[in-house]
Amino acid sequence: MSEISFPVKDLARRRAQTALTVLGLTISTAATVFLIIFGTNLGFEISFLARGGRLTSGFSNIFFQFILFVSILNLLTGPIITSFLVHLTMSGRMRDIGVMKASGCLSGAIFAYFATELSLLVFLSTLTGIVSGVAAFYASTIVLNSAGFSISQTLNLAAILLVCIVLIIFSHIFGALPIRRAAKAKPTEAMSPIYKLGTTAGLGKKVPSRLGLTFKVAFRNLLRRKSATSQAIICLTVVLTLATVTIAGGIVANQTTASYVERAIGRNIVVVGHPTLTDRYVNLLSRFFEDKELEQIDYLSSEFVISESLVSKMEDIQGVDGVDPRLVLENSVREVPGVILEPIEQTEAIMIGGNRSDEALILGVEPEKVANDWLIFGRKLGENDQDATMVGDSLAVNMFSDALNQSIKVFDETLLPYDIVGVCVDPLNNGKVVYMPLETLHKDIGQHGYNLLFIQVDASENLQVLAQIENEASAENLKVVELDTILDKHVNFLNNIWSLVMLLPLFSLATAAISLLGYLMLSISGQQHEFGIMRALGAKPRSIMKIVFSQASVIILVSGAIGISFGLFLTFRFLIPEPVISQSTLISLSAWLLAILGLLCVSSLYPALKAVKKTVVDAISAVE
Amino acid sequence: MGRQTVKEKAVVASGLCRQFEIDDVVVEAIKNLDLTVEEGEFVSIYGPSGAGKTTLLNLIGALDKPTSGKIVVFNHDLGTYDENFLATFRSVYIGFVFQSYNLISTLTAVENIAFVIELAGWSKQRIKDRSEKLLKLVGLQHRGNHFPAQLSGGERQRVAFARALANDPPLLLADEPTGNLDTETGLEIVGILEKIREEGKTVIVATHDEKLLKLASRSLFLKDGRLTE
Repeated sequence: MSEISFPVKDLARRRAQTALTVLGLTISTAATVFLIIFGTNLGFEISFLARGGRLTSGFSNIFFQFILFVSILNLLTGPIITSFLVHLTMSGRMRDIGVMKASGCLSGAIFAYFATELSLLVFLSTLTGIVSGVAAFYASTIVLNSAGFSISQTLNLAAILLVCIVLIIFSHIFGALPIRRAAKAKPTEAMSPIYKLGTTAGLGKKVPSRLGLTFKVAFRNLLRRKSATSQAIICLTVVLTLATVTIAGGIVANQTTASYVERAIGRNIVVVGHPTLTDRYVNLLSRFFEDKELEQIDYLSSEFVISESLVSKMEDIQGVDGVDPRLVLENSVREVPGVILEPIEQTEAIMIGGNRSDEALILGVEPEKVANDWLIFGRKLGENDQDATMVGDSLAVNMFSDALNQSIKVFDETLLPYDIVGVCVDPLNNGKVVYMPLETLHKDIGQHGYNLLFIQVDASENLQVLAQIENEASAENLKVVELDTILDKHVNFLNNIWSLVMLLPLFSLATAAISLLGYLMLSISGQQHEFGIMRALGAKPRSIMKIVFSQASVIILVSGAIGISFGLFLTFRFLIPEPVISQSTLISLSAWLLAILGLLCVSSLYPALKAVKKTVVDAISAVE
Repeated sequence: MGRQTVKEKAVVASGLCRQFEIDDVVVEAIKNLDLTVEEGEFVSIYGPSGAGKTTLLNLIGALDKPTSGKIVVFNHDLGTYDENFLATFRSVYIGFVFQSYNLISTLTAVENIAFVIELAGWSKQRIKDRSEKLLKLVGLQHRGNHFPAQLSGGERQRVAFARALANDPPLLLADEPTGNLDTETGLEIVGILEKIREEGKTVIVATHDEKLLKLASRSLFLKDGRLTE
């Protein structure tokens, strides 16, 4: 018999076990392949939006970061689940290895024989997994695109190859561990179930007597199947971390990005100015969600100037919470290199940045009157700042190496550059904005006055106040624009992108649940024999279901406690700056996570049901 | 489910058949078998390997259902009940000693014994007393906290006997109880079965062991799925 035919025949003889292993590995591989291709294409979609002049760098970074994070977790989860499935299968062969050793087979020959079996299982499953993953990807994109999405169907072969290599390597390493361990052990050890399970005498001796019999048996079983239990907990912890990051990240990031926009644009704010300028301002805000070419205008034209008396009148209106006068214009800006300490050694100074230039919207503001509350990296402009600026996120990312350590030239090249004290996430002009003290701006351009007024209105008296503002404004032929309508458009745009991005976590969740089901099936099939004995001794099928359910619940709850905490920590610490966590966020997040835990617990009933459907004699005859 | 107190027929099988389909080949393990065992009888069933001894014990022990025919154990027609009822029936009426011991590997010896009476809902103290008494009966009081894998073959078989007796079942079924044991350990098992016989329990043993055959009040020969006295 050739060296390869023996393992092939052995796998064929153990048809049920082989099929279950191949199925579990195929699902896990297919899920990973699917999510990686889907995630990559989703990333391209977001990057296309950013390149097409929509979405500011700050926002697209959050989407990218989220997709990248989830993709990395997927790439980790796939091999971990796959590896544990392989490990579990190969652990089940330890007794056979012991028998072969006892009958005189050399360790090297045993290792080669089982490693061949391992390779056959892994390569077969990887192949079927990739085919299934690609098929699932095409099926999903066809369905989603027919529902109005526009997800590219391009296959990223490099990503598939990467998944393939990672899965094959991980599976071989983890699968070879129990084979190596058993091949090195004494025959009597390898044949002993205690060695295979990692059981130690003291484990589970003291089980609380108040617990019911089924829970006690389940608890003992878990503790004494130390190796399998710890594997299941690690595996599920990773899955639940992924689920938490995707769900919590998705919900919180959605609300947080909406809040960034709301803070940047402001709620209950009206803009007063010359109709040309107010329309321009609205168009500049719309650049966040639609690419618009705008004609050049002279912002400093005298017809756009707003009188001081109007500002005073507006301030005197009952129900006006604040007036934020601004002088707005467009100008080219230039990067000024900065000097920082060399990041690793921190001993010598190095130069960063160059002389890149771009067109930007310049806004002169009175810092103490500013109505907006952007998400700011660094700090906002202070009352005493003179030669300081705060730049928008897209400008900071695209024109600077490290904006907060560099400065910017705005007007006359002979003037000294302005310090950059903060970078704000701002949808205005798609993040290409420079905020500077009004006084400094007046001095530098040699012109005084304002061309736009931002008025914060008391929400409770909105209608009457608006009427008065419109009254005062129309007297000077100025237009009043409510920003709430345009703000809602921004939020809707973000919601639409999130609804697309959230498909990724939803698919990850579904595939994680299916992978877990495969894991449970394999794990329970290893306990069939003992369940058969229990039933022969008088345990009802319901009791066996309770035991399996209790075992799964304990594993799920322990993994849930670790995975969910870790997932929340990752989400709030690294994924989203200044996350918005409202009461409704917490409620929906808790509901999601509880639903996931519940779903996982319930999913354990399926393999349990399959286990009790066998006849007692068949269950007892099952290979341990 | 209450036990009958009036003396009755322990097992009545009539026209019993059990077929298995293995790779499209139908194997008749039990063929049109009739059997009656009185309560308190010690019956041994012997015959060559593959004769159907284990299948017959599985049918009597309510672990398996006949393809055709009828099997009545303590007035319960086993073919008519669902799995839930049969589970309760097994825990009340049957003590089963398997040839390969079939101890639960993740439970210690004492926990394996206690499992059966825990299922029956005994109190904690009664479970403790009963388990210790049975361990003493089989001479393993010092090995109660050991896992099956840490026990010798004979010790495992003794634990299996103790477990089978835990719930004080009226019918004890033992499948080749000395088959895997050396002569000396086999004698210990014979000793245990003698004690059980003296208690007046109904015992059906499938065996090749002459000592066990001698212990039986009646020996039946099973060949090709058919019984002869």
